[in-house]
Amino acid sequence: MRVAVIGSGIGGLLSANLLAESGYYVEVYEKLPFIGGRFTSINYKGYEVSTGALHMIPHGNRGPLGKLLKRLNANVEIVDSKPEGEIYYNGERVKLKKSLFPRKTLFKFYINVLLSKINDKSLLEFSKSIDEFSSKFLRSFLGWSFSIFPEDISFSKIIPIYKQILTYRGPGIPIGGCKAIINALKENIESFDGKILIKTRVKALKPGEQIRIFSNHVKDYDIVVSDIGRKLTYKLLGMEYESEVESRGIKYTIALNESFIEHTGVLFILGKNIAGMNEVTNADPNLGKRVMLQVHQPMRGDVKAEIEIGLREIREILKGYKYEIISIQSYYNDWPVNRVKTGLDIGNKTQFPNLVIVGDGAKGEDIEVDGIALGVMKALEGFI
Amino acid sequence: MIEIKGCVGCSLCMLVCKFNAIRVFGEAKIDEEKCVKCMRCVDYCPVDAVNIA
Repeated sequence: MRVAVIGSGIGGLLSANLLAESGYYVEVYEKLPFIGGRFTSINYKGYEVSTGALHMIPHGNRGPLGKLLKRLNANVEIVDSKPEGEIYYNGERVKLKKSLFPRKTLFKFYINVLLSKINDKSLLEFSKSIDEFSSKFLRSFLGWSFSIFPEDISFSKIIPIYKQILTYRGPGIPIGGCKAIINALKENIESFDGKILIKTRVKALKPGEQIRIFSNHVKDYDIVVSDIGRKLTYKLLGMEYESEVESRGIKYTIALNESFIEHTGVLFILGKNIAGMNEVTNADPNLGKRVMLQVHQPMRGDVKAEIEIGLREIREILKGYKYEIISIQSYYNDWPVNRVKTGLDIGNKTQFPNLVIVGDGAKGEDIEVDGIALGVMKALEGFI
Repeated sequence: MIEIKGCVGCSLCMLVCKFNAIRVFGEAKIDEEKCVKCMRCVDYCPVDAVNIA
């Protein structure tokens, strides 16, 4: 049985590895000159500047991706973040813990969890009903984790994610960054005689008992796994598709002479457009020649205006520190934070039983790459 | 002639340019004096925004 995977992002390579391990002959098509999509890095001025992701796995070793990598014998070390998170609010920093939130707010949260099945509300409505600090934290958490705003999602959609956090806890940093995971998967795929074809663009797909791929060559496959999202996949099929909305964001990579965060966790920024930051060089010094600070900002307005605001906030937060902006990267349209906003994914299946969608346009109910790992498992049910 | 259309500002072109010819602030700007038309940015652009003739 022959499988084609379109796109060599983390979702595509996880799928390719699982299928190759199960005995399929797998070929991965990648239009760009490198593999990993938005989950790898490029060395620039001595820093492993990521192409998208923040060199962090939401639930570290314990979550869906960590578990899947272990199952695949993908040899990557993931260091647990300590502390998991810290909060920056009005110039002060405090460790993230439950007791920071008023009992009244926690009570309201639990009540809403219980009621959400019969009376679901928007997260914005909930955030307006609680104290200011908790409301701002919720906004910052959504911005950091999904690049969305409270008005983008209904309350019930965060419940499974809340449960995942209770089960698997906080983040971890892969030694070697995102690229180390991509390289481990590549090695695995090739050890099963799978092929990864870079600079090889899929131009069209013709569905059928076997799916025909038009690329540099024309070839038929029993199964096609698409890691390029539903919209671009349907475009290859020559079909119209009214797309869900992507999530947008801006990432700043900053070099510092001395550490600002001083730990391996997330620093959630409250009350600003910037949602959070991390300093992954505290876990793996090889990711940058000096301290590398990554800042994330969810975006919904004009890109340049948002960047101006972000840079102003960074200047304010890093006051007294010497720093250099290494890169400013914005993500939207067909190179977004997530191809579909969290909570709006419509699953992995298509009208064709031998064509499935994976990646950040078809996640399971979890954060970022952990959601992608869950989506991959779901998409390949019945094939492996 | 260098034309940029549909750029999202992801900076991949800047990260791979060997001639330090690209600056990105929301969208890419290529310095035509520094550019040697090696086409690396065209190859790396994920949204096919760069056109160099």
